[in-house]
Amino acid sequence: MFFHIFTNRLKCLLRDRMMIFWTLLFPILLAVFFNMSLRNIANSETFRPVPAAVVNDAGYQKNAGFRSALKSVSEGKDKIFSLTETTRKNAEKLLEDGKIAGYLTVGDKIKIVVNRSDFDQSIIKSFVDSYLQTSSAAESILKANPPARSGLSAGLSGETDYLKAVSGGSADPDPSLNYFYSLIAMACLYGGFWGMKEVMDIQANQSRRAARVNLAPVRKLKTFLSGMAASLAIAFAEMLVLLAFLRFALNLDFGPKAGLVIFTSFVGSVVGLSFGAFLSSLVKAGENMKVGILISGTMFCSFLSGMMYQDMKYIVEKNAPVLGYLNPVNLLTDSFYCLYYYDTYGRYLLNIGLLGAFVLLFCAGTYFVIRREKYASL
Amino acid sequence: MIISVKNLVKRYGNLVALDHLSFDVEEGEILGLLGPNGSGKTTAINCILSLLKYDKGEIRIFGRPMRPDAYDIKRDIGVIMQNVAVFDELTVYENINYFCGLYIPEKEKRKRLVEEAIDFVGLNDFRKFYPKKLSGGLLRRLNIACGIAHKPKLILLDEPTVAVDPQSRNNILEGIQRLNREGATIVYTSHYMEEVEQICSRIIILDKGKVIANGTKEELKNMISLGEKITVETSAIRPEHLAALRRIPGADSVEYANGLLVVKSGKSKNNLENVLDFLKKQQIGYGRIYSELPTLNDVFLEITGKELRD
Repeated sequence: MFFHIFTNRLKCLLRDRMMIFWTLLFPILLAVFFNMSLRNIANSETFRPVPAAVVNDAGYQKNAGFRSALKSVSEGKDKIFSLTETTRKNAEKLLEDGKIAGYLTVGDKIKIVVNRSDFDQSIIKSFVDSYLQTSSAAESILKANPPARSGLSAGLSGETDYLKAVSGGSADPDPSLNYFYSLIAMACLYGGFWGMKEVMDIQANQSRRAARVNLAPVRKLKTFLSGMAASLAIAFAEMLVLLAFLRFALNLDFGPKAGLVIFTSFVGSVVGLSFGAFLSSLVKAGENMKVGILISGTMFCSFLSGMMYQDMKYIVEKNAPVLGYLNPVNLLTDSFYCLYYYDTYGRYLLNIGLLGAFVLLFCAGTYFVIRREKYASL
Repeated sequence: MIISVKNLVKRYGNLVALDHLSFDVEEGEILGLLGPNGSGKTTAINCILSLLKYDKGEIRIFGRPMRPDAYDIKRDIGVIMQNVAVFDELTVYENINYFCGLYIPEKEKRKRLVEEAIDFVGLNDFRKFYPKKLSGGLLRRLNIACGIAHKPKLILLDEPTVAVDPQSRNNILEGIQRLNREGATIVYTSHYMEEVEQICSRIIILDKGKVIANGTKEELKNMISLGEKITVETSAIRPEHLAALRRIPGADSVEYANGLLVVKSGKSKNNLENVLDFLKKQQIGYGRIYSELPTLNDVFLEITGKELRD
């Protein structure tokens, strides 16, 4: 009997295009939009070396210290300048054509030639100022203490950090991941559509089909659990598809704990399913009202978890931390982030424990409502 | 006794939907439950099936008390709801197979029963169709197949022919009679008098949650005062003719409108000859003449009254 109901429920649910859209395609579409907008933001924030030139004349060749300093910041992966050594005439032409932000001439003094004042020009000026200050300091020290020459070079070329950054985990912090993690959490809660449908198809006062099912010689709980098993299979399969899409199509980094990420998605699917079932059993209004409450409730929880505005998660944590613990979307989002970022499991386990408590609450509430076997009205 | 309902009371707030309703259903009969809108037919069916809570009373089916968990009783009941109750996402075959599977776990037996049900309702050409692609009549037939595929001993049909074309209606009614001939006891609710008259062996008329008449067609017709209704197509009736006709012994009512003269006589009175004699003597020309015995519709209207219901 279990298998009969399970397979038929699978057919019913998989052929419901509207449900498939909301529970699978909608999160995937959102992920694509997130990826497009976050990638643009990331590109705009990437530092590009400032195109600059230096007039390669006798003055430049004579000032070995400046030449060395300039070359050191114009080489390697993290270079500041994309430097061209050229004649004055060519440098002027490059500046005129907008191919460089400015050029330097080295004589008695180091001069910067620019044709406007902007971010790139400020970087050139900062570099020159820094060089002049450092070289001036070195000259003063050497005048006062000539034997200090040996340790001076290292002392001036480096900067001492008095704060040490300690990473909480092996991964690099990436705030943009929070958007995607809250999206996955939202998709888990959208699994509530399946739970909602299961209750509607078992409660005789909610649909005609349910009334017919209630007339059959099958325990209501058995019918319900068989249907819920089919719903869970679909909800979890959809989560796996979403995770695969994020990982392989959008190159989202889930960190090294893939197994636990999948487990968390499973827990999320159970939370979503039980949430939808609980909501459906509690709200006596029609299907449209139930769907409206599910969507708006999930979106609000997602908003509080930082899906639309990342800082909201931290605002909630700072001002109303209890709200964060009462929000299943936030608990799921945080679980994914814990798996990505932390090497320890304390916070993750706390989140999973709270989600488990939600599942128990939702299941108990649903059972309490649907166990009534006769209805006051149909 | 297949069904025994005793003193059933169901209230919706202050409204009494079933008022100490009592009736029995005997094995092998087709019982028609008739009644105006809101008379309590569907409520009675839902209480019998243990879908609805009721305030008072006792319901026994196959001699055992009916409860929501009386699975041994439910196994032998088939229900065809007033509204089509099938899954839009399953095909005709899958729908029948699903509902039949809730009663019949054995796959081979179920397969045979589903095929028989499809044959029975004539949906062979539509087995792979989804319900949304079916016409109203075909949908009703699918609804019936889902309710009877497991070969129940007791079938309850709640207005199964609402919004169905005459051909499909006839098909459904013949099917119900066939199920009865094959051994099923049937409880049939409907608004359509001619349907009930055609197929039911016994009729119960409900009004305001009470049984107000119970018997065979003939027994019900004997309960009312109307005996015969004579209708004459004629265009030459004057007021003095009407007055003369009203003096015919047993003519309880004489009316003339739109070229139709209607003479109604009391029980056991036959006035056709008297009316014809009168027309000949008065040299009144006439066209067709009908003489009708009372129908179930006359019984229903006389018993339940002619005021409009919701």
